[in-house]
Amino acid sequence: MSANIFITEETIDGVEDGPLADTTVAVKDNISTEGILTTCGSAMLDDYVPPYDATVVSRLKDAGATIVGKTNMDEFGMGTTTETSAFGATENPAAPGHVPGGSSGGSAAAVAAGEADVALGSDTGGSIRCPAAFCGVVGIKPTYGLVSRYGLVAYGNSLEQIGPFATSVEDAAATLDVIAGPDDRDATTREPPADGESDSSYADAATGDVDGLSIGVPTELLEGADEGVVDTFWDAIDDLESQGASYHEVSLPSVEHAVEAYYVIAMSEASSNLARFDGVRYGESGGYDGNWNETFATARKEGFGDEVKRRILLGTYALSAGYHDKYYKKAQDARAWVKQDFDGVLEEADVLASPTMPVPPFERGESLDDPLQMYLADANTVPVNLADLPAISVPAGETDGLPVGLQLVGPAFGERELIRAGSALS
Amino acid sequence: MAPHESSFVTDIEPATEHVAGVGIDGLAPYRRVVTFYPHQPESRVMTAQTVQQGDLVTVIGLEVHVQLETDTKIFCGCSTEQTDEPNEHVCPVCLGLPGALPVLNEGAVEAAVKIGKAIDAEIPEETRFHRKNYYYPDLPKNFQITQYDEPICADGELEVAVEGTRRTITIERAHLEEDPGSLQHVGGGIDTADYTLVNYNRAGTPLMEIVTAPDFRSPSEVRAFLAELEEVLEYLGVFDAERDGSLRIDANLSIIPEDEIESGDIDDIGSSALETANRTEVKNISSHKGAQKALAYEETRQKNAIERGRAVEQETRHWDESRGITVSMRSKEEEKDYRYFEEADLPPLRVADWKDEISIPELPSARRERFQAEYGLDEESASKLTSTKQVADFYETVAAEFDPDLAATWVADNLLGELNYRDMEITDLEGRLNEVTRLVELVATDEITAKNARETVLRSMLDDERTPEEIVDAEGLGKTGEDEVQQAVVEAIDENPDAVSDYESGDDGAINFLVGQVMQKTGGSADPGDVNQLLRAELEA
Ligand SMILES: [Zn+2]
Repeated sequence: MSANIFITEETIDGVEDGPLADTTVAVKDNISTEGILTTCGSAMLDDYVPPYDATVVSRLKDAGATIVGKTNMDEFGMGTTTETSAFGATENPAAPGHVPGGSSGGSAAAVAAGEADVALGSDTGGSIRCPAAFCGVVGIKPTYGLVSRYGLVAYGNSLEQIGPFATSVEDAAATLDVIAGPDDRDATTREPPADGESDSSYADAATGDVDGLSIGVPTELLEGADEGVVDTFWDAIDDLESQGASYHEVSLPSVEHAVEAYYVIAMSEASSNLARFDGVRYGESGGYDGNWNETFATARKEGFGDEVKRRILLGTYALSAGYHDKYYKKAQDARAWVKQDFDGVLEEADVLASPTMPVPPFERGESLDDPLQMYLADANTVPVNLADLPAISVPAGETDGLPVGLQLVGPAFGERELIRAGSALS
Repeated sequence: MAPHESSFVTDIEPATEHVAGVGIDGLAPYRRVVTFYPHQPESRVMTAQTVQQGDLVTVIGLEVHVQLETDTKIFCGCSTEQTDEPNEHVCPVCLGLPGALPVLNEGAVEAAVKIGKAIDAEIPEETRFHRKNYYYPDLPKNFQITQYDEPICADGELEVAVEGTRRTITIERAHLEEDPGSLQHVGGGIDTADYTLVNYNRAGTPLMEIVTAPDFRSPSEVRAFLAELEEVLEYLGVFDAERDGSLRIDANLSIIPEDEIESGDIDDIGSSALETANRTEVKNISSHKGAQKALAYEETRQKNAIERGRAVEQETRHWDESRGITVSMRSKEEEKDYRYFEEADLPPLRVADWKDEISIPELPSARRERFQAEYGLDEESASKLTSTKQVADFYETVAAEFDPDLAATWVADNLLGELNYRDMEITDLEGRLNEVTRLVELVATDEITAKNARETVLRSMLDDERTPEEIVDAEGLGKTGEDEVQQAVVEAIDENPDAVSDYESGDDGAINFLVGQVMQKTGGSADPGDVNQLLRAELEA
């Protein structure tokens, strides 16, 4: 298909009845599906077929959903454009000639193009929210620990969560209802704390009622953003205000360091998570003679793309003796500070709002030569992963015909508030 | 399936995968580099001059890996049972498949806490896991989940008796980790194999790595420590010595000139003397006997070199059990950088209360002392009787019913002696120990003679698996009843007045005649000693 949304198109039927019985779902290709290729967008795994289902996939099947295919993505989730995929770039259905965002670009595009009712992506530093914003759809990045990661091929395992895409907040919330909840196979999942609402579904929270909602706008997340994006953002805030919400500016000084901290942590974890791909059980063998360290190196050199190699090398460096304290440990300190900062401002606001991406969708090919520029585009999304918090990206409007997303961030396990507020915009 | 096809992962069953022709320099079944002493330059050499001035002191530190006995692996639900079928007990987690996540088996933590209590170690409020990153074909994820700066046990000790003196060995730390898989080189050795098979059955077996201070001064101390450690672990029920590969030992050995020890006390060697000394690491040791042999070999090798003025290289050596020598692993193992960092997939586990909640049985050393005090046993018997928990428990069962001395003779000497002769363990008599108790009872109540019990009944019980009663009946060993003997005594006295008067006039030989008469009457089944006593009692009355 010309849009190159799927890496594998194959139908997996769920059970007959269930909350998603009439729903088609596209699944990002880093989420394990038993008996069906799961490539992570990498040549290293171009023939890898998992012998087991990720927990979220089992839950989709049990809810009656029909999986329609495995979607394209930046290789191992490392990218903001879906252009680092070994299977080629994906077209943005909402903005032809532009990238769909990444790394879950195929999932967002599938929903935007009507190839699936809903989709699953994963978000390590914005990989659900960025493509949702760029493709003009809704994407939810859940609180760390709400959704099981069992079966999600790890990139930055302390940061990432699986979450849904849909054209409406309500549909995304209904998908979250199916995949959320503790899992014995993922020790980091937790039962959300009981509150007045914990018995009701996420979908039920999509009421659009924002009367009395207090919105904090972190000024740091508007700085340096594209003018058209900022204008669209304020229009959306005005819209919410007209429905009874109020906003005030807040400050998150720690986010200045968030991008550096995020990349150090994500790359460090990636260097370890991707170590198993050494040509023995995955990818092409690096040969049978000589030093096995060299054959491993050959297999990895051949099997991984440039962006993946770049991140593995940087991550290895950041963890190395003599640099560990300077980079990895410092990044952990920054992470703790970011968490504190968010906790502080969320005491004075129900939700925080910002543009999801500081820029409209890149033109295809635009960002490939400048990785640093691409990393900086994650400025508004990565702090949320560092803080383990939930966020939603909802379409806010357009600038020059290109989609703009509004990001709402809530307290831990505050998904319902985000769904309520997000649904007011659609 | 062609070599290296990753379609392996479509099916967990297909036995082994291979790493073909890997030229592995210096492969040990288990590898690590953790230094007991600060890092030192590779090529530092002891000069011949320093050593001529005094005696040489041997300094040894150990790193012991023990497999913990748990039903399932440390991070998944796979069985830890041994099997000949390769890759039978595996799942996505222990195979390290993409996306699989570890979940901590609290049984392994419980076993570790027991060990911590037994060695009087500090157990932290919370314990957490780290990743140790290195590439190795037996390591499913190319990192090992282990513990780094928050080990489950720190700063413990174990007291051992070596040739009559007691020594306390400091255990710097003991931590939990996962065992890697195992490699099988086909068609040759490490360097020459046609290909290498990987078996992941072992991958994920819980391991405890126990690191001692460099507190040992001789290979025999090491052996005594390992024996005591194994005994303690077995008492705790967390270890099975019979299991293949359940104990793996790496040792560090340095030779230090006595006059370089500033304190003048060989038990208190300063770090500078340890730093100066070149140290070899000996790997691939798998038993206490092996440890003693390997280290004695290494000690002699190094002392000889020093005495001849030759340099002792700082290197890693491999213990070749079959040849009884240590072999240089040629390539120097450079200081490895394992890039430890926290394993975010496993949240920290609160173990603050576990130490109080988990109880451990009385340990061998305490039990030995109690046996001496409570049952009046000598040290040797007490030691034999506490060699395993099962032996000690059985002794206490027997001693509760019968005379503790008789029980000690029967359990420590007769039973263990006969078992040992047959290369059997007390555990081989599981379910039959009540028969041994019954045998002791037959002796204690004089139903059979001690000699018959020991030489006929016990042996036949072990060899033919018969019960004591069956053997006594079949062999006609039943001692004659007391009344019958007593009656024969009275008759013999009545029928032999001459002998009686000889006895009364002081001829002690006459009693032997009377004993003979009684034995004849009872068909030889009475105990001659008993008869002698009964006659004297009757004659004196
Ligand atoms: Zn397993």
